[in-house]
Amino acid sequence: MSGMYEKLVDILVDHFAVDRGKITPDATFEELKMDSLFLVEFLLVIQSEFDVKLDDDAATLTDTIGHVAALLEDRTKATAQ
Amino acid sequence: MTAPSSIAVTGLGLITAAGIGAEKTWEGVCSGRSAAARDPRLDGLPVDISCAVPGLDPARHVGRRSPLMHDRFIQLAIVAAREAVADCGLDPETWDGARVGVVVGCGLGGIQTMETQHRRLLEKGPDSVSALLLPMLVPNMVAGHLAIELRATGPNFVTATACASGGTAIGTAASLLRDGSCDVVLAGGTEANVTPLMVTGFHQMGALSKRVGEPTAASRPFDQDRDGFVIGEGSGILVLEREEDAAARGARVRARLAGYGASADAHHITAPEPEGASVLRAVNTALAQAGVGAGDIRHVNAHGTSTPLNDAVEARMLRRLTGDGAAVTSTKGVLGHTLGAAGAIEAALTVLAVERSTIPPTANLERQDPALELDIVTGEPREEKIEVAMSNSFGFGGQNAVLIFTPGS
Repeated sequence: MSGMYEKLVDILVDHFAVDRGKITPDATFEELKMDSLFLVEFLLVIQSEFDVKLDDDAATLTDTIGHVAALLEDRTKATAQ
Repeated sequence: MTAPSSIAVTGLGLITAAGIGAEKTWEGVCSGRSAAARDPRLDGLPVDISCAVPGLDPARHVGRRSPLMHDRFIQLAIVAAREAVADCGLDPETWDGARVGVVVGCGLGGIQTMETQHRRLLEKGPDSVSALLLPMLVPNMVAGHLAIELRATGPNFVTATACASGGTAIGTAASLLRDGSCDVVLAGGTEANVTPLMVTGFHQMGALSKRVGEPTAASRPFDQDRDGFVIGEGSGILVLEREEDAAARGARVRARLAGYGASADAHHITAPEPEGASVLRAVNTALAQAGVGAGDIRHVNAHGTSTPLNDAVEARMLRRLTGDGAAVTSTKGVLGHTLGAAGAIEAALTVLAVERSTIPPTANLERQDPALELDIVTGEPREEKIEVAMSNSFGFGGQNAVLIFTPGS
């Protein structure tokens, strides 16, 4: 998996006390027991961490970590260009 | 009309500067040694001492996600409430949660979170502010968290009467039991506002002791050389039930909450009414509810903040009320002033004093102010059978809460 995915895993573990062993690219936020408020906070943290701007609805509880990693890869590439 | 139900205290939990757990706090207050120390959270301020809760690891003591979602005032209450519920022998997994209420006193709420987030807003801009700011800040959230934690879906609210909040919560909880709204109430107080802004605010109004060079001597209720309070943090939670319910399930009754009285000074926003007339009205209401007289009071856990004015006015009121017939203590000498938690922590300590026939000493009472003609316990704990005990709490705003406790059996 991408370096971005690994960074998201670290944020989920360090900031949101998610079990590292439960995180896979296909795991949804819901499955990781992230509620809607935690998801909002997660989006705020990653925007600050990676200095990108995401829409409020960039991810929902049924999206996967892999989805957000791909989204961030796109955004950071776009910013770099 | 049947007589109003008597209220039983069937469980208690404490977390204070003397440690985590009721026994640690009891040992601490009985030692008569102040828990005050320099506090790194207050570095660089004119007053940098506090009575801080030692060794709380939220991820371990509360839950892995606690640091993310709980301000410290909520963490303290969760720890105290879990201990109280375990102590009372009821099981939240099986109790009828709709009959369980939660009433918690809190003066200020999550100010620590507010200060941190405000700093982020100013330094890094709005995008850096946490989405969890509000749920960590608002004071009522502590009752909400306890409801979630303990499956308690009955009446649920926070009382705010400044430094009387914990006493107000416990007295109000008894009313919920008497009027049949609940069968069990978790009642108490919590506060964690040892923050740069709050401590500066208290210092600017002249309320804090300036004895920063010798922190353990700074809180000295009723002493001639007292010069203000030491800010503390902590939580105390009681489990209250109607006595007949407690008896029916064979619960251990640690003490009875026999009476509650409340009043307002309507005098000044911070200074107590000099004659103590409004406090006396609250005392008389509580005594009447308990069916006892002022002469029956054997022990008073005083508000006793260690400020020159509070202690003088309270002592004068107590002298008029009880002569020198009651053994008075202020546990704030050891624990500092925990603001909205104080009334609840002191109620729990009064329960233990009644249960154990032991009155903890007032720390640092070396030379009793000669103007204060009271029998104040000092040095060592005093063993004495206590038939009637009173716990006083007075809040800025002129709000007074008085609780009367009697033995459980």
